[in-house]
Amino acid sequence: MNEITVNEWPLLMETIAKVMTENAERLCEMDAQMGDGDLGLTMKKGYCALPELFAAIEEGDMGKRLSKAGMKMASAVPSTMGTLMASGWMEGGKRLTGKASVDAAGFASFLAGFAAGIAKRGKCSPGERTVLDALAPAAEAAETAASAGSSLADTAKAALDGAKKGVKATKDMLPKYGKAAVFAAKAQGVEDQGAVAGMLLVQGLCNGICG
Amino acid sequence: MKKIINDPARYTDDMLEGIYRAHAGEVGYVNDDLRCYCKKKKVPGKVAIITGGGTGHLPLFLGYVGENLLDGCAVGSVFQSPSAEQIFEISKEVQAGAGVLYLYGNYTGDIMNFDMAAEMCELEDIETRSIVGADDVNSNADPAARRGVAGIFFMYKCAGAKAAQMGSLDEVLAAAQKAKDNTRTVGFALTPCVIPEIGHSNFTLGENEMAMGMGIHGEPGVWNGPVKTADDLAAESLDTLLKDMPVASGEEVALLINGLGATSVEELYILSNSVSKILADKGINIYRTFVGEFATSMEMAGASVSIMKVDAETKAMLDLPVSTPFYCQK
Repeated sequence: MNEITVNEWPLLMETIAKVMTENAERLCEMDAQMGDGDLGLTMKKGYCALPELFAAIEEGDMGKRLSKAGMKMASAVPSTMGTLMASGWMEGGKRLTGKASVDAAGFASFLAGFAAGIAKRGKCSPGERTVLDALAPAAEAAETAASAGSSLADTAKAALDGAKKGVKATKDMLPKYGKAAVFAAKAQGVEDQGAVAGMLLVQGLCNGICG
Repeated sequence: MKKIINDPARYTDDMLEGIYRAHAGEVGYVNDDLRCYCKKKKVPGKVAIITGGGTGHLPLFLGYVGENLLDGCAVGSVFQSPSAEQIFEISKEVQAGAGVLYLYGNYTGDIMNFDMAAEMCELEDIETRSIVGADDVNSNADPAARRGVAGIFFMYKCAGAKAAQMGSLDEVLAAAQKAKDNTRTVGFALTPCVIPEIGHSNFTLGENEMAMGMGIHGEPGVWNGPVKTADDLAAESLDTLLKDMPVASGEEVALLINGLGATSVEELYILSNSVSKILADKGINIYRTFVGEFATSMEMAGASVSIMKVDAETKAMLDLPVSTPFYCQK
């Protein structure tokens, strides 16, 4: 895939759904150690619903349509992570308004918007052991790759590398938010499950773009 | 659980259907979603005011949608936030070209969803402003972190009046802010309430036990102890209120005595009498007294006392007649 147009987004959403479905159990197990234990189910349900939600929206602008799909996903999975992910789609989509297709630079700005939307809604910053700790480094890596003239596929791969490094780094971060904060000692040396969900999102996008 | 229902899962939607059937001339819903509650009458060029929150507090929140008050309300399940999508759909329906004010209670889920709706409105070129009620003094020492409870009524009244007078979006926001800055509430519960889908109360209070400062979702208060007399409750409530917001002798306030759902109106007037006497002793003049159910917690017994410091401007806003299916003031 050299560029993403309005026709490709449903395919990317489906590859994300596939990754979330394959990893649902793993996410739930990780989450059970630190929180509710429903993170995998939430992500699976939300992302499996997303392609259809996107398809049903009557909106000419690709970016606005992504934003609206995000908002609808929040209704489908009313939970903290559902709301945060939805906010990512909303702000990521906003950065693409007026565009007919997404190239490497557009993909980087989509990811930057995605991370910014989450940071704004969750009032969180990188380093606080959240989903942002996968998505912020992913966005940065994508930006670096795109600026250096990489293709869309290479930019997506760079983003995935960034996300994976970000997830590893959460092992040494102390939780500040949610129920995980109660289990601060238990979190040492363990990857943050929210960050893993963020990495899986980038994995899904990357699979779709490169596949 | 003893409730007049069909199915706990249908509690909110059956209630809404009942409201639409009873008041079809005044209110309806959009987007094929019962929970997108809108006033039918639209005034071109008027700022639209939208509120929202969980079910279980009638007449809060939707009960204040009506003439000279609010234009729409997003309705969540019992004690749950409505969705951003619902708020957004209502915004598109009730906006009349002058922008939309989101006025709701200070709860995390509601804030997230109203903020998301505001961002969606931005994409559609609908201007929004947001303000939250945060009047419950005992819920937090930090005023910005307090829960919103019955005192939001005064914000509705002032914002609604300013919008009815065709004020601009920023003027309507300022009216709500002024009411907020001058309003404080103290509440207490005597018995808990039951969330229909749970079927039992989440906490218990002994036969002669009460909870001072308990929230309208049963959030823990500042003390639990034997039930006090109306005079003692009035004294303690006013003590807390006036320490947080001093009112000098000779100043004027509006007084709101609110029942939480299961407390009789008789008791509310007994409490109102006690509060009024103490205010009179302090030389604080009561401009207007409101007694009744304004923000409930289903069948919870208890009450809250709210005061708003008033001046000529806010008095005029409080005096503007209003009419909704749930509340009329001549």
